[in-house]
Amino acid sequence: MAAPPVYRADQAFAPGNGLRWSPNSKRHTWHRLLAAALWAVPVGAVGEFIVWRNGGGPVAAAMWIVAVVLGVVLAGTVAELDRRSLGYAERAEDLIVMHGVFVKRLIVVPYGRMQFVDVTAGLLERWMGIATVRMHTAAAATDATIPGLPAAEAAHLRDRLAQKGEERSMGL
Amino acid sequence: MRFSEGTHRLHWATAPLRAFVFLIVYFVLLGFPLLLTQTDDGVRLELSAEVAVRFLLVTVPMTAIAVGSGLWAWLALRFRIDGDDLVVETGLLRKRRRSIPISRVQAIDLVRPLVTRVFALAEVRVELAGGEQSEIALRYLGRRSAQQLRAELLARAAGLPGHTPEAPERHLWRVPFGALLGSLVLRLPVLGAALLFFASLVFLVMYAEGGMLAVAVPVLLGLIRAVIAPMVMYANFTVATSPDGIRLRYGLLETRMQTLPPGRVQAVSIVEPMIWKAIGWARVEVTVAGYAGERQALSSTLLPVAPRHVALHLVSQVFPGTHIDAVPLLPASSKAVSVDRADGAGTDDVVFVSRHGWPCRRTDVIAHARAQSVRLTANPLQRLLGLATVHVDAPPGPVQVAASDRDLGEARAIVESTARRAQAARRAGGDPTHWAAR
Repeated sequence: MAAPPVYRADQAFAPGNGLRWSPNSKRHTWHRLLAAALWAVPVGAVGEFIVWRNGGGPVAAAMWIVAVVLGVVLAGTVAELDRRSLGYAERAEDLIVMHGVFVKRLIVVPYGRMQFVDVTAGLLERWMGIATVRMHTAAAATDATIPGLPAAEAAHLRDRLAQKGEERSMGL
Repeated sequence: MRFSEGTHRLHWATAPLRAFVFLIVYFVLLGFPLLLTQTDDGVRLELSAEVAVRFLLVTVPMTAIAVGSGLWAWLALRFRIDGDDLVVETGLLRKRRRSIPISRVQAIDLVRPLVTRVFALAEVRVELAGGEQSEIALRYLGRRSAQQLRAELLARAAGLPGHTPEAPERHLWRVPFGALLGSLVLRLPVLGAALLFFASLVFLVMYAEGGMLAVAVPVLLGLIRAVIAPMVMYANFTVATSPDGIRLRYGLLETRMQTLPPGRVQAVSIVEPMIWKAIGWARVEVTVAGYAGERQALSSTLLPVAPRHVALHLVSQVFPGTHIDAVPLLPASSKAVSVDRADGAGTDDVVFVSRHGWPCRRTDVIAHARAQSVRLTANPLQRLLGLATVHVDAPPGPVQVAASDRDLGEARAIVESTARRAQAARRAGGDPTHWAAR
């Protein structure tokens, strides 16, 4: 066997071999922002109600609103950072997925080890035309998830992965 | 008896046994209270005619129900071997048929609980990969026919004709009683708990301080759980190898015979607690894809205690073509900050080995051919130091293989080389089914 190529430290989370990370859709950030905003409405309303019941003035009410809005902005920022950190690449024998803002993860899933691939989309995701692709192996720790792909691309990716998995299937 | 011809039922004694168990539960919960009479000075056991009539009026229908349900359960289950499938049919009115490809069998267990030993019965448990519902339990078969069924299933899984006699086995190791007891006691948590127990007893006696019981009783229960329970469970532990895989036999009250066919062991871990290291003892734990949930905990021990060289020999039986001590381990980066210090990790063409831990040393081993996926992770602290951890994922179980705190560039090189070796090993090894016919 040939000597393994040596990686530079800053190349540890790069796809390697001249490949490039395929990103997911920008709509993924919007989806998470929208989800956060939808959560913010009841949270804001309940907070305002409690402030009003406890006799808080307009200052307290405004502070609560600012806090909720800041929360939404923070959620949106994290979502965008998270989206930028995500990438996947299909190689000859395996799929690699890179993900994570605080904890960086790179996962290599051989096609022959995939038990099944599923595509899920919630109500909001369906409306925005995005979907989540998830690869399952016999190991529960295999966390190869690509959220926020455009629906058509997700379906294509699933079909390609399923086909490659079929060709190389090995059992356990 | 040949299981491929005709349809078979469980042993007839299953019906009376079921009825008997039902009646015992009935008697304890309802029957015995019926015999008691409420009098002025409390509850008394009194056998008057009235009480006898009352008791019989409930007991006779209950007995009928018990016998009926026992018979029903016995009649309702039928099984046979049909070509490459084990077919299990349940139900009398509403029939349900389950057919299981024998090539998917991960392990076969023969369990003999204490009650069934009187009747020479045994339960056959067939483990399949995937999920909680993936075992077939046949309770109970006659002891001889249970062994025959196991032999036939294993022969067919190996790709041999079903009437092949059970493969001969070679005795490998027997855990002596003293060593098992010693190994259970000589662990730091157990010794610490024992010390605490005696200290609390001394306080209890010297100062007549009843409050110390609140310490002594839970500690005693914990000690029983940590020493007596494994003692009973793993008594008379013997390991043997055969062409059908590794055979384990153990248990004092409930005896178990496990068979792990070749290529079904996903990963093993050699555990050496601190005191054991001085004596030269080791324990071997194992991940088998079939066992899920509670069964995982019950059957994840390949060897409760043995001299280290025996444990290593067993591991090289499980993963042929390698010897764990011969795998060169590269030490982890010196920049690492961790209590659970990583000793190093290494690989050859067959297995990936990582060793870590202080004071209890674990050596985790996974065969490249069994690895599911490879992960590289770096948490914020590791990123600050320029380190990363490489995980080689196995199905859920006690063994997690991870080479922690490697330099970033090296870590990525490990990921790539492991992925390549896994691919080569899968190509060379092929499907682990029909191992004898290859």
